Amino acid sequence: MGTVRLETEVLVVGGGAAGLRAALAAAEAGCRVLLLNKGPVARSGITLTAAGGMQAPLHPEDSCELFLADTLRCGYEIADKSLAWTLATEAAGEVREMERYGVKFVRDERGELALGRFPGQSQPRNIFVKGGGVGLAAALHAACKRQGNIRILDDFFVTGLLQAAPPDARTVAGVMGINLRSGEQTMIRARSVVLATGGCQQLWAVNDCPSDAVGDGLIHAYRAGAELVDMEMVLFYPSVIVWPPSLKGAFVHYEFLAEAILDGNVYDKDGQAVLPKPLPVRDQAMLLMHRAIEQGRSGEHGGLYWYVGDSAKGIDVVRKKLDLAQYNYLKAHGVDPATDKIEVAPGAHYLMGGISIDSNGETGIAGLFATPECAGNVDGANRLAGSGIAATQVFGARAGRAASRWASGNALLELDATSLAEETERIRCRLSSAGSATNRATAADLPLLRRRLQETVQLYAGVSRNQAGLDRLREEVGQVRLALQGKQVADRKSFNQALMDLLQLETLCEVAELVVGSALLREESRGHHYRSDFPQTRERWLCHTSVVRDGEKARFAAKPL
Amino acid sequence: MEQASGKIHIKAYRFDPANPDQAGFQSYTVPTAEPLSVMALMAEIHALDETFACRTSTCFKGQCGSCLVRVNGRDALGCVTMVQPGETVTLEPHSKYRVVRDLVVDFSQPQEG
Ligand SMILES: Cc1cc2nc3c(=O)[nH]c(=O)nc-3n(C[C@H](O)[C@H](O)[C@H](O)COP(=O)(O)OP(=O)(O)OC[C@H]3O[C@@H](n4cnc5c(N)ncnc54)[C@H](O)[C@@H]3O)c2cc1C
Ligand code: FES
Repeated sequence: MGTVRLETEVLVVGGGAAGLRAALAAAEAGCRVLLLNKGPVARSGITLTAAGGMQAPLHPEDSCELFLADTLRCGYEIADKSLAWTLATEAAGEVREMERYGVKFVRDERGELALGRFPGQSQPRNIFVKGGGVGLAAALHAACKRQGNIRILDDFFVTGLLQAAPPDARTVAGVMGINLRSGEQTMIRARSVVLATGGCQQLWAVNDCPSDAVGDGLIHAYRAGAELVDMEMVLFYPSVIVWPPSLKGAFVHYEFLAEAILDGNVYDKDGQAVLPKPLPVRDQAMLLMHRAIEQGRSGEHGGLYWYVGDSAKGIDVVRKKLDLAQYNYLKAHGVDPATDKIEVAPGAHYLMGGISIDSNGETGIAGLFATPECAGNVDGANRLAGSGIAATQVFGARAGRAASRWASGNALLELDATSLAEETERIRCRLSSAGSATNRATAADLPLLRRRLQETVQLYAGVSRNQAGLDRLREEVGQVRLALQGKQVADRKSFNQALMDLLQLETLCEVAELVVGSALLREESRGHHYRSDFPQTRERWLCHTSVVRDGEKARFAAKPL
Repeated sequence: MEQASGKIHIKAYRFDPANPDQAGFQSYTVPTAEPLSVMALMAEIHALDETFACRTSTCFKGQCGSCLVRVNGRDALGCVTMVQPGETVTLEPHSKYRVVRDLVVDFSQPQEG
């Protein structure tokens, strides 16, 4: 592995909706931008899985104030108010920017943006991207390619941030990564860095995200000294498919079960309906489903049955409603969503916590910016449908502009030799040249360890948590980390997927420790964080949890709003 | 739960630019009682043999093309192409793009010639 050097003004890590928007903003502000993505842009990342709903207060009776009030109420009052206000006031402007970049929205007969009303919205507030998340990523990707100032490197895996040499300690001066095509370890100096790496939902055995979502950026920021907030706040979507195996991770809309839509339900193994009508909001629905599963009412593969086959609306209405790419995908797998019972369980869907930012995406580390989904505290303890995409655009644009301002006012800094050596070695020590292997990971090791981690996290830090379980989980994570210690994979140049597996599993373990510590600290139940030993919401926890690195230890604390 | 007959046999194309002369097919057997998409199958092969490379990121919709691959001599979306237990399937890189390694291609570069 040789070391290659590159330089840029603004460096964006991650090419989903957030990173692409940040790159566009920085380039339009006049900066040279390099965007790195560990898979191919528009063919990897969470954005592609998005249904495509986006919140913007465009209805004549809606307002920024109502948007803010809904966000705070549905987030159980622990969203950061200034971030939520920024989201509410700038989402509509971002819709126009998106159209300028070529994103298309669904329009009604009069040619107006079609608005839908989702649970928790006091006015219809969701507009819909044509082509869903895939359409969104494709349009933003094309806009970046048209922009002369943006260079995109696909298949580039960032492994860590690099610090500046003294006297600029605690300033980020670049990143280290692996060009997966050539295998070269690459050092990139940048004036400013924007993290846009998405969530970490792969930590849970049941999740509806692609394999990329392991929380790299969270750990990069954490290792560099940034504060993470509300890491216990993960949104569980009620109905993620657990069977058949080839469909694992796809989801079916729990919202469609509402009386006004398809009027279906989720049933237990004996055919008893699990959800009351009117349909409860997401966090309540997933708890009811979890209880039914705990009571042994689940089916063969641990899930409950999503079913709309006996809808009073009639099969034609059902088929019409389900005529969407995501349901046609199920049909290709031999499952007919209009007539079959589909085994589902609550699964990790969105990370509401993350890197602590201000409204400009500043992280508190000089030169380092971040944007949701990997940045947190915009939503609190629950997220309204359509806020995910809106946040990537509003805060992506802001982080991109702030990073470009920083880049215009600051020179490229020298890299800290220690930081560079550590980051280089952290990767090199995972590679064995043929023959020299002492603790070579065998094929079975990593998938098994990963599975073990995911299942224990699901069990103890899933929908229902308590002290004993979280303690147990902490031990398990420690064991998995121990098993990974000194593990190596073969040094191969081109597309070393085994190396990615190993490094990503290590990252998942680190994320797990932060989730466990934060979940232990918050001794109450609020939104998607349910503690069976503290089932009440408590006034004194009207605050964030925060974690920062203190040497090799994580320091957890409550943080005032 | 796996039935004795529950196996999918795969002939997978292997290519490493470091050893282009050794390019060729390798046989794998994946035990499964359930049908699998080609994409799920590729992930299973990678779990059996970590040196086998494939793309794993999915959109769950058959829309993005992350899973483009050649199945039994035809270019296809791997995530919506199903293989039944008992079947044998040949997997090659998608014919339109340059191969990076094994079944991983570079979507930004068309295959030459
Ligand atoms: C099933 C599903 C449906 C959803 N539907 C909606 C919806 O309808 N409306 C809504 O508002 N929200 C929705 N969301 C949420 C929303 O889609 C996401 O929050 C948002 O798309 C995240 O965008 P992102 O750019 O932050 O992350 P991503 O799209 O995940 O992009 C991050 C990119 O960074 C790359 N990356 C990560 N680590 C590294 C590294 N170390 N080096 C280099 N690159 C790296 C990844 O490969 C990825 O391409 C949905 C989420 C899911 C899971
Ligand atoms: S994974 Fe997106 S089309 Fe197959």
